[in-house]
Amino acid sequence: MSRFLLHRLLQGLVSIVGASIVIFLISRLSGDPVQILLPSDATPEMIAETRRTLGLDLPLWHQYVIFAWDALRGDFGRSYRWQMPALRLILDRLPATILLAVCGLIFSVAVAVPVGVLSAVRPGGWTDRVGRIFAMLGQAMPAFWVGLLLILLFAVQLNWLPAFGYGGVSHIIMPAIALGWYPVAAQTRIVRSAMRDVLDSDYIRLSRALGTPERWIVWKYALRNAAVPLLTMLGVYFAAMLGGAFVVETIFAWPGVGRTVVEAVFSRDFPVVQAGVLFTSILFVLSNLLVDLTYGIVDPRIRDDR
Amino acid sequence: MNHWRISVLAALLASITAGAAAQIPKPATGNLTIAFAAEATMLDPAKSSAGVDQYFFGQIYEQLVRPDPSLKRVNWLAESWSVEDEGGKPVIDVHLRQGVKFHTGDTLTSDDFAFAYNRLRDNKVSKWSHLQASVEAFEIVDPYHFRIHFKQGDGSYVADNLQLWAMSKAYFDRVGDETFGNTPVGTGPWKFVSRTIKEDLKLEAFDDYWNPTQRPTVKNLTIKIIPEDLTRVAAFKTGAVDWIDSVPPSMVEEFRKMPGVTTASYVSPNNMYIAMDAIDDAVPMHDVRVRQAAAYAIDVDAIIKSVLFGQGERYAEVGKGEIGYDPDLKPYPYDPKKARALLAEAGYPRGFDIPCYNLTTQREPYQKEMGEAVFAYLSAAGIRCKVQGQEYGAWISFGRRDRPGHIDGFYSNMWGHGLPGDPGTPWAGHVHTYVPGAGWGITSVHSDPELDALIEQLKATMDLPERDALIRKIARIKHDRVAGGLTTYRPIVTFAWHDNVTFVGWPTPGFWRNLQQIGLKQ
Repeated sequence: MSRFLLHRLLQGLVSIVGASIVIFLISRLSGDPVQILLPSDATPEMIAETRRTLGLDLPLWHQYVIFAWDALRGDFGRSYRWQMPALRLILDRLPATILLAVCGLIFSVAVAVPVGVLSAVRPGGWTDRVGRIFAMLGQAMPAFWVGLLLILLFAVQLNWLPAFGYGGVSHIIMPAIALGWYPVAAQTRIVRSAMRDVLDSDYIRLSRALGTPERWIVWKYALRNAAVPLLTMLGVYFAAMLGGAFVVETIFAWPGVGRTVVEAVFSRDFPVVQAGVLFTSILFVLSNLLVDLTYGIVDPRIRDDR
Repeated sequence: MNHWRISVLAALLASITAGAAAQIPKPATGNLTIAFAAEATMLDPAKSSAGVDQYFFGQIYEQLVRPDPSLKRVNWLAESWSVEDEGGKPVIDVHLRQGVKFHTGDTLTSDDFAFAYNRLRDNKVSKWSHLQASVEAFEIVDPYHFRIHFKQGDGSYVADNLQLWAMSKAYFDRVGDETFGNTPVGTGPWKFVSRTIKEDLKLEAFDDYWNPTQRPTVKNLTIKIIPEDLTRVAAFKTGAVDWIDSVPPSMVEEFRKMPGVTTASYVSPNNMYIAMDAIDDAVPMHDVRVRQAAAYAIDVDAIIKSVLFGQGERYAEVGKGEIGYDPDLKPYPYDPKKARALLAEAGYPRGFDIPCYNLTTQREPYQKEMGEAVFAYLSAAGIRCKVQGQEYGAWISFGRRDRPGHIDGFYSNMWGHGLPGDPGTPWAGHVHTYVPGAGWGITSVHSDPELDALIEQLKATMDLPERDALIRKIARIKHDRVAGGLTTYRPIVTFAWHDNVTFVGWPTPGFWRNLQQIGLKQ
């Protein structure tokens, strides 16, 4: 197990270094931040001076070496726009995004698992049909639209929830639903199909023959085995939510890292983009590692194989 | 004493007392939460990199001169000022208002403006050092009197509210650069309390503010940042905020009819235009007839009505109310027949194909769609646009003359100025011929020696009435020759507030978002 863990950690490290190189190069290919930073009537001398101050006049490899060395020491440079450490800008906002992604994931799983299970238990039944409609709607409604509909209904019409902002439990409900809505559809399909396979297996038939109550069979024996494919995807969904939180963060004025990084991309604020992407990569690797570890809890055979 | 005499005396005393009471402002009370669509990045005027930064720091810092709500220029921290001649070189002589205090309690003196000047001219600190380039020396005469000596005339210095912000030297010396920038201290009506990036800015009315009549009457103000239009509107409708900026153009009419809501619409200082390459002999727009054809080909009024829901104001070179505005100078009328005739006359009876670059990042509402509509009109007249979208970063690099490559067509562009606006600096950038290293024509794709000479004269002119006359003259020539681009419209921005709020829009700093006079109804 520890060898497996070490192996995955090394793989994760390679992925993070790879991501850092890719984002470093891509961001610099996207254009010159100095043009955006300075007023339109700034003189060429001012542009050259600013470029020199920011170290953007150095060869690309030299810039990367400086970035990598500083990053190893926890220094991601200062934001060109905000004039503050890029790391602080990201870390201050990261908890809000993680909270949003976790709540979005919890919402999607909390909806997808029962709907998927009920659809699988009675294929063609009304729960299955409702589940399919639900899945279709989930795939057809983008997060920004779901978000706006939720605001119109629960904030403007019913006045139950705040329309925007970051604060108590009431603030997270709509953003989490908007973010978690889209993956519900795919997760429902994964659970349904996995449950169908498991429910058709021999040991389930044997359990039924032995008179085990159907509720036990479905929720205790079958679901545990059917959960493995969903777990595999959860890491990916979590990462997708971290990356895709930007839209929801904008709609709900949620002070997360997604909005910060996307705005930094548009303003060519390289230090913030690099720090943001690197930290998202780290979270991605960690979430996948966590998923790998939970396999063993769900299915002891996997744990023993390692 | 007779009864009537006592009554008259009492009435007189009462009126005097009431008058005196009217002069003493009631202490600010209550809390107010409002929302802006955009957020400032820097709170330090020297380090600010965009006009949007003034939305925040403009509540805290003040200048020597500013326009009032009717756009009339008034002395603010300057009690008086004048432009004088000293040995053939201009000098701005400023007498400061006395008794003005910073939020720290320090008194504003000439030392603070000397500090501000030095900070603003330092290109390692300031992004606006080029605006101080004409200044030769800053001379302190006494604590309330200073003189700014110029190497040569600089009209934009005068036109742009004397360029300097009141920054506390004592505060900077005490706290250093970082705290100075993050915890701003000014002389303005609002004191900084706290800021959470991407969330809000909290301010408190400054009790010792020098201006007793024009000041906020609410004690605590929170400015929320809500970038999404519909969310901002929802926050307003639910009462979570009581004042919003940037009502979406499609909803302005609905807001105007909303009970219990007041709206105010202002013309933005952003001037939209269609730039076109007129330098290169190989491009058709080198010929003035083709440029005029383009001007006749576009029905700007129809586009404003249908795309912007009427939330734009057409202008010809200089907007209404700005310095040098000429009511007799009218925009080109929509005349597609004339456009085709001019194209034929210029040797393009069948029109021509040309790249048209459109900014796709929405710097102003529906800007992308406005560009698309303009290019569609050009295509209909025979100037067949091959539209290419550009996001902001690519677009801004594209427009600068020091970039590699070449502008070979039309592109949607804009130029901004203060309020009331003076086009001197923008014209020096996009109308004057590009002169490498000299600061002229940084974004220009035009060359006209007559206009160059006039723009250079304008730069040196520090007398405002003279500037006004010169701007009118340049505008007329520019208009006739469609030089430096084709002016189209200026966006209209609408604010809305609930009836429990009082608000008077001050144009600067902050482009009508200055909260000099905001409060709750008693």
